[in-house]
Amino acid sequence: MLLVPCPNCGPRNSTDLRYGGESHARPDPNTASPAEWRAYLYLRDNPAGWLRENWYCASGCRRWFSIERNTATNEFRDPPLPGDKRGGAA
Amino acid sequence: MTMSRQGVQPTEVIDRAAKLRFRWNGKRFSGFEGDTIASALAASGEQIFSRSMKYHRPRGILTADYWDPNLMVQVGDDPNVRAGHRLLESGMDVRSQNAWPSLNRDIKAVNGLLGRFLTAGFYYKTFMRPQWLWPTYERVLATFAPGGKIDLDTPHAYHDKRYTHPDVVVAGAGPAGIEAALAASSAGASVMLVSHEHSVGGHLRYSSAAADQAALAELRTALDASDVEVLTDSTVTGRYEDNWLGIVQRNHPVAVERLIKARAKTLVAAPGLIERPYVFEGNDRPGVITSGAARRLVNLWGVKPGERAVVFSANAEGDAAVADLERVGTEIAAVIDGRTGGSISSTRGSSRAVDAVVADGASIGADLLVVAAGWTAPTSLLNMAGDRPVYDPAAARFFPSDPPSNVLATGGLAGDADLDGLRQHGAATGRLAASRAAAVRHRLQARTARALPVDGDEPAWAPDERAPLGRDPHPELYRADTHGMVDMSEDISSKDLVAAAHEGYDSVELAKRYTTATMGPSQGKLETVNTVAAIAEARGETISEVGTTVWRPPYAPVTLGALAGRMFEPVRVSSIHPWHEANNVSVIQAGQWLRPDHYGDPAAEVRNVRRNVGLIDVTPLGKLDLRGPDVPKLLSLLYVNKWMKLGVGRVRYGMMCAEDGVVLDDGVTGRLGEDHYMMSTTSSGAGGVWEWVENWLQTERPDWQVHVTPVTTAYASINVAGPKSRELMSRVCAGVDLDAEAFPYMTVRQATVAGVAGCFMWRIGFTGELSFELHAPAGHGLRVWEALMDSGSDLGVAPFGLEAQRIMRLEKGHFIVGQDTDGLTLGPSTGTGSLIKLDKDDFAGKPELAWAADRSLPLVVAIQPDDPDVVPEEAAQIVRGDTNEILGRITSSRYSPTLNRSICLGQVEPDLAAGGTKVTVLLESGERIGATVIDHHAHFDPAGERLRG
Amino acid sequence: MAMAAIGGRLRRRPPKYSAAALAWKGLRGESWPRVWRDCDLKSSYDAVVIGGGVHGLATAYYLARNHGMTNVAVLDKAYLGSGGSGRNTAIVRSNYLTPEGVAFYDRSVHLYEQMAVELNINVMFSQRGHLTLAHSDASLRTMHWRAEVNKLGGVNSSVIGPDEIKQECPSLDTSDHPRYPIQGALYHPPGGVVRHDAVVWGYARAADHMGVEMHQKTEVTDILCEGGDGPDGKGAGGRVTGVRTNRGDISTPIVINCTAGWASLISTMAGVRLPITTHPLQAAVTEPVKMFLPTVVVSGSLHVYVSQTDRGELVFGASVDPYANYSVRGSLEFTEGLAGHVLELMPGVSRMRILRQWSGLCDMTPDYSPVMGFTPVDGFLVDVGWGTYGFKAAPVSGEQMAEAAATGRTPKLIEAFALSRFDNGELVGEKGAASVGH
Repeated sequence: MLLVPCPNCGPRNSTDLRYGGESHARPDPNTASPAEWRAYLYLRDNPAGWLRENWYCASGCRRWFSIERNTATNEFRDPPLPGDKRGGAA
Repeated sequence: MTMSRQGVQPTEVIDRAAKLRFRWNGKRFSGFEGDTIASALAASGEQIFSRSMKYHRPRGILTADYWDPNLMVQVGDDPNVRAGHRLLESGMDVRSQNAWPSLNRDIKAVNGLLGRFLTAGFYYKTFMRPQWLWPTYERVLATFAPGGKIDLDTPHAYHDKRYTHPDVVVAGAGPAGIEAALAASSAGASVMLVSHEHSVGGHLRYSSAAADQAALAELRTALDASDVEVLTDSTVTGRYEDNWLGIVQRNHPVAVERLIKARAKTLVAAPGLIERPYVFEGNDRPGVITSGAARRLVNLWGVKPGERAVVFSANAEGDAAVADLERVGTEIAAVIDGRTGGSISSTRGSSRAVDAVVADGASIGADLLVVAAGWTAPTSLLNMAGDRPVYDPAAARFFPSDPPSNVLATGGLAGDADLDGLRQHGAATGRLAASRAAAVRHRLQARTARALPVDGDEPAWAPDERAPLGRDPHPELYRADTHGMVDMSEDISSKDLVAAAHEGYDSVELAKRYTTATMGPSQGKLETVNTVAAIAEARGETISEVGTTVWRPPYAPVTLGALAGRMFEPVRVSSIHPWHEANNVSVIQAGQWLRPDHYGDPAAEVRNVRRNVGLIDVTPLGKLDLRGPDVPKLLSLLYVNKWMKLGVGRVRYGMMCAEDGVVLDDGVTGRLGEDHYMMSTTSSGAGGVWEWVENWLQTERPDWQVHVTPVTTAYASINVAGPKSRELMSRVCAGVDLDAEAFPYMTVRQATVAGVAGCFMWRIGFTGELSFELHAPAGHGLRVWEALMDSGSDLGVAPFGLEAQRIMRLEKGHFIVGQDTDGLTLGPSTGTGSLIKLDKDDFAGKPELAWAADRSLPLVVAIQPDDPDVVPEEAAQIVRGDTNEILGRITSSRYSPTLNRSICLGQVEPDLAAGGTKVTVLLESGERIGATVIDHHAHFDPAGERLRG
Repeated sequence: MAMAAIGGRLRRRPPKYSAAALAWKGLRGESWPRVWRDCDLKSSYDAVVIGGGVHGLATAYYLARNHGMTNVAVLDKAYLGSGGSGRNTAIVRSNYLTPEGVAFYDRSVHLYEQMAVELNINVMFSQRGHLTLAHSDASLRTMHWRAEVNKLGGVNSSVIGPDEIKQECPSLDTSDHPRYPIQGALYHPPGGVVRHDAVVWGYARAADHMGVEMHQKTEVTDILCEGGDGPDGKGAGGRVTGVRTNRGDISTPIVINCTAGWASLISTMAGVRLPITTHPLQAAVTEPVKMFLPTVVVSGSLHVYVSQTDRGELVFGASVDPYANYSVRGSLEFTEGLAGHVLELMPGVSRMRILRQWSGLCDMTPDYSPVMGFTPVDGFLVDVGWGTYGFKAAPVSGEQMAEAAATGRTPKLIEAFALSRFDNGELVGEKGAASVGH
């Protein structure tokens, strides 16, 4: 059971959180071409290594946060510390 | 071989005063408390315990412990019990598995004669033709399935699990493991010591050496005096991410087995070593046992393993077995020393004779052959932590290479030393584990915002300065000059493995899959290294070059009952539920909710709502309390329609789409006050929409001021529907003007209802009737409901359930998200496309919904079968004429008691969506019927005059 | 031999597997020749298939058998069948939700039925029947929907009630005692299980006999391209010229990506982004007991599927892990959830023991349907996005991908699964089954 470092609740069992997938910016809905919008909807980098991704602390503080995890080893890099404000996922 | 009980041994674990009676294959036997099933049977002279899987060869004791593949028995309704480990209990009904008609005369043993044809994987090469015969072949092959029997009446064993967060878990309670636990505990760590065996001590338990016994007594005394929690007959079955450990406790006083989940800060792996069988012709005959089996039989249970023994020894354990055997009067016919080139070629003899044939062809008469050929390092927990063990040919076993720094190995797994050396290494490992655990604990606490503050800096990560254990030289003894069994439980010989390798299945994994070696109940603990050795030999490579297989969890098997534990799946009911139960309700499961489906006659409930007034409990309806100045912007962003100008007291319907334009949810939202809104969602969407709202607010619009509170279960929700609903409401409401002009359709009011303050209600109508959806503080829901029932008896008030509501919503043509829409239904397909306001600056799914306008999409339409008495099934397909081409499907259908005809909603191709279009519906019976698309969704009161009333 | 007549050029005559041959070799103590050759890697092939699992091997087999393309290499970074092919729960069925899915998987079942004879290896296809249980009226409605679409596609499926379920599978608890009682099931008699490894070996052996080369421990480190709009000539508008491996470069005009969980990594080498995330799928097996479970049982709501092997073990699978991951280590929460759900279905098995758990990597797509055929890079084809359905589709995928690669045209059966559907927003409706199942 992976321990996911929530900036508020501290390390929590992964089953306490909801996985939000790869972080990626939302294109401008008024100017995005179909290709850009559908790349946002569907295409993923899916690397075997470091990935910036979003988690939702569903059973804890109910905050979304963004963090880097290595998908091959499940290490978290530079986990946010309490009070860290960069928690807002993108 | 003839085993028998001998005089009292100083190390024995049996209580000769406590005699236990049990049955073995229906016959009466007895043993002593402290016996395992196998030791009791052996002491009674039994020599055959099972039959092998394929050839049905007789099998006797091999290792006399948990991993003995030949000692699988059925105990009552418990299949595959390890008789080498399970303690004897009074009254046990023990039966052999895998023998027919009996253990001593097994008809399938004839397969042994066919061995040359039944080589590993033979079944891949035959039974292809004729194809129709394969099911018959399959049934015959399946009768060879090994194992015990399931009793389907076995009760579901609900056992609670235990969660624990120790600093250090030590897996294995030999001298090194005990010392590690003691040292870690002395250093201030909380420690759990897990012993696979029934008592701690590891190999000291069955050593008759005085020094070993003194050390064991000393260690046990120290443990008793320490704070270490000791679990016996328990196994660390798996190491998962971040030292999440599964531990199975088999001797819990209540549970058959209990699963303990431990988040250890550091793990010490000290499982010891497993003695490896030696491969030679006849090595699976009863009477061929490992040196450990001989020592356990003698020293733990006082059982003499045989009258005359040949001992093949390549290490000190083998030498010690000789001494043990001599002490109980076994004649030692010969000791063949594997360190100086001695070897065993085969065994001969009939019945109880196990004559050993040595390298020069000489045969030595005996009834027992004891083999001490080397060790398998059970690197399982290290493997699960990501370590890749490395083979050392000089020591003839695998060693850990580079486990993660919160997993430490000690004891035989890590190397060799005398007893003092092992204890010192264990203690050093325990100190290191405690130190690292303290650092982990500090870090966990410092990273938790609401934890108590931690003092000082994080302790430094202690370097590993343990003096490494040595590696005793050991000859590489895997196979003699003959072929024999490698995998006893699967009946796989070294010859099979060599043949498989020559055939091309020449990597360990391929050979394993092709032959099934290591796939049986002992999961390679006895077989893996010999398997690798056989393949290496066939390939002309070294064991290092071939490599080994990955040890997968669990280390020891765990029952489904222990893993399942107790099922925690809450049942949700509204505060009004007791009334429903007292009034003849039929409930329906809706997710976790139990909801009233009907109270006997749904059609009558419909008629009563259309004629008088009815009440339905709609508490599961999702409700989100939204407050703040930016709520209108949020609503505009999440719904497809416009929200900036919703006045106080007004209610509006909205549809939500996901970013791909697919319909996500719908419901009404009302404005209760200047900055206060109440959003309702579908019942099944309540949780998902809440997360959706939070996601947008937190990640896309963090600057907006909106506070979201889920209040679904804070309110009991009651829909009061029917032409007499206003009259009924007027009798229970205070502080609100219910008049049609003062409280018109699509508005919301707050009121006191039946004396309950803080209620709000909106005038909407899913049923199509004049109706008031009333939300009362949940604690008073039952009171409000009863007041409504009591006040309206003269009005004909009656409850109605979900079924009546479904009929009425279908009469009105309201679609249900997830039933009339599916995972690909885009917003415009619902037929409410005019709701979508593309001139808004932004909203979820806007680009897709804009492009959807140019696409040819299926549409939700209302459909009426031409025969009013035929109700097509929900799922009936709409097809083109007599062909099988699918043009749509019926998504909802009911018989309407209001219209006295069948009515439907369906999805159809766009060219069929116009009112008046004739379509063909294929019923489940195969019959095709005609039906007509009607030009609006509502089958009943399309102008909506009733609900506005 | 029949094989040669069909089109593939037979390079060597293999000894046929049969009971008679077994007996003859057994009597004479003869050994069998290698199932496939060990070859030196050549510098050029007409096509290179990346991934030596069932999909890659089937593709290579059909390239040779149906299209006469035998100068083909199958590359695998480990051993044949080391990925999902040897880790799945070996279930075969065709009771899908969409007409596209039904037609496609029906062809696959048909090919599985013929496989033992065609490949001359016993793949032990046991068509013991397949039950998909419904525990809510919503999921029962989806079962009816699937049954109707199946019937129209000529596939044998029907919805049955608890009493019939009990008859087919007496160990299931069809009472109203469970938290979510069984309300009905989609019964699919042709569904069953196959010996998955035998399928791998059968395709490899048959392809080898026609001249295809299998290269194990051969890892692709780059795909060589020219003319594309990205760096090094990769990306849209370009074309494939070869692959780089740990054993040297290969020139080839056709590269077919059949790497399942690793599909994104290989496609990135050609500059092609995919709508895929990689998630582990866990599985487990119990100790053997005598046969008691006659059919395959699936419960979508309880996230479990189970069958009993001919060796007597129960084999379980569940839904994919919730977060993207390339690690194939098992998880404890999986076995806990699995056991809880299995005991809801079959309370009587609480004393059976889990013997081993493992996981494989699944290439999940947004619409639970594969991505097959051509990409914006000429000569780079994909057969990916199989998620949890890959094994059952292997024969038909191989057949169709071989046709696409050999003819340069997309066969009708896989038109719906093109990568371009994600550009057009025209997803396949298999997710509908999941979406309405709540």
